[in-house]
Amino acid sequence: MATPPLIGARLKEFQQKEVERILDACTKCGKCFEVCPMAQYSKAPATDGKTVVPGVLAVLRGEQGTAEALGWIGVCTRSGVCVPACPENVDPRMMMRLARMTALGGRGLPKQLDVKEDRDYFDRVRAFAKLQLTDDELKEWT
Amino acid sequence: MGEKVTFWYGCNVLRHGDIIHACLDILRAVGFDPSPVGGPDYCCGTVKDANQTTAGGMATRTVGKLNDRGARVVAWCPSCHSHMHDFMEKGNERQFDMSYMVELLHANRDRLAPLLKNPVPLTVMLHKHVGFNDLVPVNRVVPELLQLIPGVKVVDAGYVAPGYMCASFAGMPAALQDMHTNTVRAAKACGAEALVTTFHQCFREMVGLDAAGTLPVYNYIQLISQSMGLPYEDEYKEWKRAPEAAKEMIGAERIAKVGIEFYERAILPELKKRPAINK
Repeated sequence: MATPPLIGARLKEFQQKEVERILDACTKCGKCFEVCPMAQYSKAPATDGKTVVPGVLAVLRGEQGTAEALGWIGVCTRSGVCVPACPENVDPRMMMRLARMTALGGRGLPKQLDVKEDRDYFDRVRAFAKLQLTDDELKEWT
Repeated sequence: MGEKVTFWYGCNVLRHGDIIHACLDILRAVGFDPSPVGGPDYCCGTVKDANQTTAGGMATRTVGKLNDRGARVVAWCPSCHSHMHDFMEKGNERQFDMSYMVELLHANRDRLAPLLKNPVPLTVMLHKHVGFNDLVPVNRVVPELLQLIPGVKVVDAGYVAPGYMCASFAGMPAALQDMHTNTVRAAKACGAEALVTTFHQCFREMVGLDAAGTLPVYNYIQLISQSMGLPYEDEYKEWKRAPEAAKEMIGAERIAKVGIEFYERAILPELKKRPAINK
């Protein structure tokens, strides 16, 4: 009898391939950081992208990231301005998203970044659904 | 009967029943046969960055359920749409075509325009973000849709907020405050009487400006709905404008469905929240 695939296995495989592609392609030129409109809000502000990006790549490798790298990862809001700025077509938005997942402990590596979790997130969505939809709509649409 | 489509509305838009109901009427009016799905059971998993096992499971479940419906999916939520594009379809077999609501309406604007009969005399500025626009060019397309509405004039001061939507600023009060401040300044600079959002997440955030009396705020669907004469009221805005009276407006029967303790702990603080503006 075949073993059922692990939950999310293909997604994790895709993410790992993306991590490897990014680690191979990035030249640490720092252009992505330089154009980022959110970097100014980092808890550990930096001025030179060339010193920050290696810390992001370290997080992707499962190593400890620098305070500056983790600060930048923590304020990424997927502006995507970095994507056309990258001379190597790395897709820095994907790099930062994967780094965020990794730093939050989402990819099975030690947690390096803390964000406040909204424990009521889905319950609040369900509550608003009850306030805004009829019982029949709730049954059929959700 | 028009083309059957699955209207995948997302999670947080459930705060805004008027938007969901109006979207369904608009889709029917331009020739589609929409079947709505959303809420936590259809979550894309984008909120689970800290647990990719859970996110992967959610993605597989939701792609499977959407596959089973056998129709084109029209996404409303920008997070769901981009997460499908970036991750969900990379780890699962997507067997349906996908459109984003804005681009579907724009592609069918010849059918939409004659339905926009009621004038909405309003000078508006679109609230824009730099992100998402590379996936769907909403910053160009939404103003084009708004300009189909008789009476609407779209003005622009050139301000484009960072990020891909307001909700991504959660936990960054300084960035949020700058965005509110820059948005209000831009609206005043270009003579806008009201702010219009593309996304419900931005509407939820920016409607605080309306509640505070700073600037009227709408979602673009609400203006289309108004022009079409659809009957849906924006209850969320009414609750937000008068949070102390919201319990009465909602009524005892609906409050009982969510529980008074949960309402007071988790919903009322959101209704009371007002944006901070730089001096």
